[in-house]
Amino acid sequence: MTTLMSKPVSAPGKSIIERLNIVTALVLGAVSAFVVWRLALQFLPGDTEVRLFTREDKITLLSMIAWFVGFMTGIGALVGPFRWLMGKDLSHDENMFLAGKDMGINRYFRYTTDHKVVGIQYLIITMVIFGIGGILAMLIRTNLGTPEGGWIHPQAYNSIVGTHGIIMIVGTIIMVTGPFGNFIMPIMIGARDMAFPRLNALSFWLIVAAAVPLIWAQFIGGISTGWSAYNPLAGQAPLGMNGYIMFICIFAISTMVAGANITTTIVRMRAKGMTWNRTPIFIYGIMASVALALPAFPVFFLSQVMSGMDRALDTSFYNTAGGGSGWLYENLFWIMGHPEVYVILIPAVAALMEMAPVFTRRPLFSFNVAVMGIAGISGLSVLVWAHHMYISGWAPLLNAPFMLTTELISIPTGMLFLVLVGTLWRGRLWMTMPTLSIFALLWNFMIGGVTGIYLSDVPADAFLHGSMYVTAHFHYTLMGAGLTGALAALVYWFPKMTGRMFDKKLSWISFWLVQIGFNVTFLGMFTVGLAGQPRRVESYASTFNTGNMITTIGAYVIMVGMLVLLHGVISSWRSGEKAPMNPWQAKTLEWTVANPIPLENFDVLPTVTSDAYGYGKAQS
Amino acid sequence: MTDLMNSKKPQWWKSPDVKKTAILWAVCTALVGYVGTEFHVRSIVEPASETMSGVIDLMRIFTWAAAPVAGLVFAMCLTVLTSKRHYGDNPPAEADHQISNSPRANAVWIVVSALLCLFALITGLIVLQKDSEAVLESTAIQMNVTGSQWVWSFDYPNGARSEDLYLPVDKPVVFHITSVDVKHSFWIVQMGIKMDANPGAITEAAVTPNKIGVFDVRCAELCGLLHAYMQTKVHVVSQSDYDKWVTEHAALEGRA
Ligand code: HEM
Ligand SMILES: [Cu+2]
Repeated sequence: MTTLMSKPVSAPGKSIIERLNIVTALVLGAVSAFVVWRLALQFLPGDTEVRLFTREDKITLLSMIAWFVGFMTGIGALVGPFRWLMGKDLSHDENMFLAGKDMGINRYFRYTTDHKVVGIQYLIITMVIFGIGGILAMLIRTNLGTPEGGWIHPQAYNSIVGTHGIIMIVGTIIMVTGPFGNFIMPIMIGARDMAFPRLNALSFWLIVAAAVPLIWAQFIGGISTGWSAYNPLAGQAPLGMNGYIMFICIFAISTMVAGANITTTIVRMRAKGMTWNRTPIFIYGIMASVALALPAFPVFFLSQVMSGMDRALDTSFYNTAGGGSGWLYENLFWIMGHPEVYVILIPAVAALMEMAPVFTRRPLFSFNVAVMGIAGISGLSVLVWAHHMYISGWAPLLNAPFMLTTELISIPTGMLFLVLVGTLWRGRLWMTMPTLSIFALLWNFMIGGVTGIYLSDVPADAFLHGSMYVTAHFHYTLMGAGLTGALAALVYWFPKMTGRMFDKKLSWISFWLVQIGFNVTFLGMFTVGLAGQPRRVESYASTFNTGNMITTIGAYVIMVGMLVLLHGVISSWRSGEKAPMNPWQAKTLEWTVANPIPLENFDVLPTVTSDAYGYGKAQS
Repeated sequence: MTDLMNSKKPQWWKSPDVKKTAILWAVCTALVGYVGTEFHVRSIVEPASETMSGVIDLMRIFTWAAAPVAGLVFAMCLTVLTSKRHYGDNPPAEADHQISNSPRANAVWIVVSALLCLFALITGLIVLQKDSEAVLESTAIQMNVTGSQWVWSFDYPNGARSEDLYLPVDKPVVFHITSVDVKHSFWIVQMGIKMDANPGAITEAAVTPNKIGVFDVRCAELCGLLHAYMQTKVHVVSQSDYDKWVTEHAALEGRA
């Protein structure tokens, strides 16, 4: 952490702003939760109804809401709005304090508004999420590694699967947009900070606030419904379900806040001369991702509010006995769910597109096609949600039109391939871990995309749906394509974010371990899916032994690779080689600022006169 | 891709890396097509209905249709990877061109992918149409299927009821599927049909078993604690064995 200056905090606490940090937040959150819990226990009337959980559901949800409000107050999220209401808006000094000026390591534990601090905070929390999600994945695979299922109790197993699923989804949603969208993006467009710095801090701390209900859930019955939390199963699930509901609601707010902030920043704050034609492709990727999340996450939020109301207030949105429908939930969930997968994928691919010209020393091939591809995917991806519901019986007559829209997506998806191979072609390959990642993405995403076409075919999906084949498909896309891009981005921007080079040897070793392990794991998983193994099962027929064994072995290889990567992050951050200002000789703006980056990035705001891809020797 | 070369040189296809890629393309296409289909066909279950054979054929066709595209991408990657690579901490010399676009390559790529897309769509629609009509078949056995945590039960037209399914060979059957608690998914693995069992609604699926034998029914939608164990068998038997079996079982239910 050498970029951090370590001056102590200025004179001890005068204003409330200076007193608040993660400790006050945790304390206030815990105290509020406890108080509300006691009060609810005392005063909420008992149930007259037959429902098993209703009163407990109310108590749990109320306590979780209290936690949330307490935590956000304790971290200082309300200071700004409150002061504004009182007519005493924050002074310049106070704003500088909030930005973390001269605060050293402490600023990472407060409501700090500097986008670089938020970026690092996001990076750390993403790594923590992947760490926990990874441990859960290893539990799943170990349980399935032994023939005839395992040693984990089915209730616990289901909960592990659900928790693994949802936190990995959240991890992949934030893995590019969080760390790199916050740290790198504003510098890349030549801005001093985000459009709304306080909203930026808000979006990060909301995720921390959201994490607690999810952990809480594990102690009150877990999330035994899988990440999709279908109703009516979710209505029947133990109290832990409320943790899922709160987690999603808070995370959805975080995503909406971040989305509004990032879109505004990109639209309004690009450097002088950075026309849309000169805006780097990575910026388009981030922009498309949050622009897709903006309509999608309110739907997710709503779907969970309704789920919570069914549990706690005995409404019947999804409860058939009361006139509701599980199909309503499925629709809401996938109206969010399909755009969401592209929220994950697009910025990861765009990051690799940004790196491709740098590591081939030639211009990006067909910038316009790249933009078109990103726009086309974004547009189509809101029209395909029911391909997750072909087999639900909801509307058999709509299967054909949804098959059409789904298969159409392969056209803009193909454009992304064209841009990447086009850029590699006749380039001068500079072999680095990000370069290898471009090839890995092309391989993995090809498999993910082609299997996606099988799945989009209704008759084939009648066999494949709900099987391990689907699980393998989306791991190829989320992990094989998405995470591969995010890891490359980590290595690529590490020098700018930490001031040190990422250890080259470790990045290569982990790359090969992760990629080989990954392909072994999920090719194995395709075979058991084809042989008829359903997903989310804790035990299976002996015909699936071999495939599952292979998959489990592959998973352990991934784990080793990830540990090597973690070691690489820690050791390079602490004692890696000092990075020059522009180690890759790249042409985007973030490489023009010094290490460590000054608080407001640029003394003089830059002016842009060309795109960032002017590599290659001019033709004679 | 091909006219990335300096457009003043007319015979771009004579350049060595284009030739190399062309050869690799042929090899990769064959490999992807062959390995891809074998991978699927060898892993997938033995079909016990036309529907399932259709699924397997679809996979063959789609894999071969995707093979040239995947093959081209892999071939270009291989060409690039086997040409001069630069290791080291400083960037290599700049590439010797500045070509940043090729309208012709873009157009070809987009048109080809649109055609492939159309092809996949039409193939799918034809099969889909056949499957949807099967549900309307009037001579079919009408079977009621009920999912509940965590068993399947089957009601036969004559009032018999069982927890493992008996079907006559070569006779169309239509399933009317529902659930009494949460959502389940009724999957006859080797027959390639699947349909969710929803509480409060009845959904339909149809198939004609074409092989005598014992096959698997599994629940394909997480339905709670014992989801993994919610499975049973389908016994496909001759028409006379079937008639005998349902009569006996209807009697057991006291409804004969
Ligand atoms: C060429 C593009 C793609 C096509 C045609 C496609 C098609 C499909 C289809 C039809 C399903 C539903 C399968 C089923 O449940 O029966 C599916 C599931 C899924 N796909 Fe894709 N997909 C594509 C790309 C992607 C990408 C890029 C991602 C993520 C980055 C992704 C993530 C997922 C996920 C997460 C699921 C399963 C969700 C669940 O049931 O839990 N897919 N895909
Ligand atoms: Cu989807």
